[in-house]
Amino acid sequence: MPREVEPSVNERQFFEKALAENLRLDGRAFDQFRDLELSFGDEFGVADVRLGKTRIHTNISAEVTTPYPDKPFDGLFTITTELSPMTSPHYETSRPSDPEILLSRILEKNLRRSQALDTESLCLIAGHKVWSVRADVHILSHDGNLIDASCISVLAALQHFRKPDTSSEGENVTVYTLEERDPVPLSLLHFPYCVTFSFYPSTVEEGETVILLDSTLLEEQLREGSATIGINKDGELCQIAKLGGISVDAVAFLGCVQVALARVKEISTFVIKRLAEDAKKRDKGDLMAELRAENDR
Amino acid sequence: MASTRTSTFVLPGDRLDPASLPSHPTLPLKLGPGLRHIPPNTITPTVAGQLCTDKRKNAVWVEFNGGRYIPTTGDLVIATIQNSAVDIFYASVSDYAPKATLPQLSFEGATKKTRPQLSFGALVYARVTHANKHMDPELECVSQSTGKSEGLGPLTGGMVFDISLGMARRLMLPKPVEQGALVILDELGGQGVAFEIAVGRNGKVWVNSNSVKGTIAIGRAIQETDEKALKIEEQRKLAKKVAREI
Amino acid sequence: MVASKEPSVLLSHLHRADGSATFSQNGYTVIGAVNGPIEVPRRHELPEEAVIEVLVRPAAGVGGTRERHLESILHSTLRQIILVHNFPRHLIQVTLQITNTPENKNTGSKVVQAGSHLAILPALLQTAVLALLSASMPLATILTSVSIAIHADGKSRKLITHPSLKEFESASSVHIMAFTSHGEPLVVESQGTFTLEDWEEVFETVKALCHAEHNRIDDNAMQGVDGKGNMLEFVKSAMGEKVAQDLHWHT
Repeated sequence: MPREVEPSVNERQFFEKALAENLRLDGRAFDQFRDLELSFGDEFGVADVRLGKTRIHTNISAEVTTPYPDKPFDGLFTITTELSPMTSPHYETSRPSDPEILLSRILEKNLRRSQALDTESLCLIAGHKVWSVRADVHILSHDGNLIDASCISVLAALQHFRKPDTSSEGENVTVYTLEERDPVPLSLLHFPYCVTFSFYPSTVEEGETVILLDSTLLEEQLREGSATIGINKDGELCQIAKLGGISVDAVAFLGCVQVALARVKEISTFVIKRLAEDAKKRDKGDLMAELRAENDR
Repeated sequence: MASTRTSTFVLPGDRLDPASLPSHPTLPLKLGPGLRHIPPNTITPTVAGQLCTDKRKNAVWVEFNGGRYIPTTGDLVIATIQNSAVDIFYASVSDYAPKATLPQLSFEGATKKTRPQLSFGALVYARVTHANKHMDPELECVSQSTGKSEGLGPLTGGMVFDISLGMARRLMLPKPVEQGALVILDELGGQGVAFEIAVGRNGKVWVNSNSVKGTIAIGRAIQETDEKALKIEEQRKLAKKVAREI
Repeated sequence: MVASKEPSVLLSHLHRADGSATFSQNGYTVIGAVNGPIEVPRRHELPEEAVIEVLVRPAAGVGGTRERHLESILHSTLRQIILVHNFPRHLIQVTLQITNTPENKNTGSKVVQAGSHLAILPALLQTAVLALLSASMPLATILTSVSIAIHADGKSRKLITHPSLKEFESASSVHIMAFTSHGEPLVVESQGTFTLEDWEEVFETVKALCHAEHNRIDDNAMQGVDGKGNMLEFVKSAMGEKVAQDLHWHT
């Protein structure tokens, strides 16, 4: 299989010189994010995120199924992130590669284990029927920072999704179609977004580790360590992942948590704004359709 | 080169009007990129683009942008050394494609005793000597006839930027301003910015100047001219802006 | 929301792929990416031609038998139009990501009508061809594809081009065909109950929509068909625009 491409010596040396002069290759500040774009599909639960040239498309779907025997009151929530040759020619679909495994583990810890989606609310009939919600994350284009972008896209899609309304009598559950009853949103308890930091060795002796936010693909290939912090806008930490790499001063690391919190607040506001805009567009669209239907009649 | 730019848009498999093809009393018709010959008499495009003809050389080709670089004999490329074996280096010309071979003696002044020391990741400016569909491409860093490097060889320092294949072609035209509507480099030079560049037909441009900020600005200016399809006036404005920043 | 029968496409928007296209028609949206010619592992290489790898990924879930069936149709079709002999011992990857399908009213269940998975075949074929054009992959010819549903009730029959999901599911027979720009058929898939006359009318209708010469709407073969839109004209105009944009510097 074609191997991953590595940066040349010239790029590596130039990048180090640029860092020493406080410069990044695309002109951003060290703690500046690229432009974030979020759009939704016509169907509920489809979110498209663009962070610079990184592009992630997430699709939420739900079906009724039986719960795990040891958890009769909980619904199921799965997140799949399969990297395909669309992302890069060296990703094979059959064999998950390291970055793919890391991505799915971090999303799992951040979104599933933190109970962002209330799985008890997915229960229809305890022990027999529950909703199984599935998030398929498709990485269309990889230019770095897949973790942050994937997290935003899954949470935005979950907030956008509507599951069919149901009513239960005893052992029977009736699932209404979209025409019979309006679908209902999911019960989301909190919104833990991720912020990833990339670390580079200090350019001066005994100096501090250089920290960059929202790294591009080239910056990721040249980094010597990274940490992902999952936190919600109320300041509750969900996870911290620093998997090896060069050491970072503890105080500086706490500073990172503060930066992450500030950033997550911005992202939350942005996502809510986009969701509101989409809702308004839908209302107007539905209204127009109704008026037209009136005329047809 | 007096070529007539016809704006005939062609798609693969189109039947070409024989009147649109040039004819010459003595020279045979030369087929350039983007066309194929189906014996006995059919010439048909293989990509989407604009059909161009050159009456003087009796040549016809399709001008197009995009896609992956296919190594062609005679092209100048920027290659990255991957590893070495006895007497040869293996270099990557485009990502994920088979590697090209570069003999260790194909450098200026190289002998069996004094070989160039190139490690993994080193960049070289090379010419493609052999490229056919059955073999991996071969490169050289020296001119066969003179034995001198003529600008080829290892590139030290500087930074390499990705550009589209169309932009690489424009930069390497004999007259970039008239034929390629490209003034950005001339304008930057005119504004007093000092730099050196090497353009690889495989979609890479190497830039070096005396400041990191300058190199980044120049490289990004070229990329912006490419991505945003800047016209001549816009390129002039960009050059002025860049010169001010440096 | 009524899905538009007019096709639309966005070209070369994925920066890491050699060629890409996002194509929408009739409620189906597919994002396609092409990479190649690139290196192929020794065990898969072919000595005289390039290996083509097609991957179809559904919007929700991981692919199953239906996707493998679509991949095999796409593979044998694309192998006819890509000039694989130009690149022996290389690999050409075509990845097609389905992002949107027309609303299925039964969103609570994963029920997919048997055979309706072929409804997305024209969109997949078109996306693949546009992505290959965007990658400047040498092709022998281009391909366009149309689906037709026949609603027959004894005496009369009604042909519907680019049928909606409802029309597709309630049809007595459905046909997906693809033709080259010279009018040669490359894909002919039919399902349901139909007569030879039905099939021939479908054949001629689709050929007219995919062919260069007959693109006048008042042509006899188009009677009883709703939905306009010659697919070949669409591909020509989309690619023409892109080429004009790319070669804006070319005087």
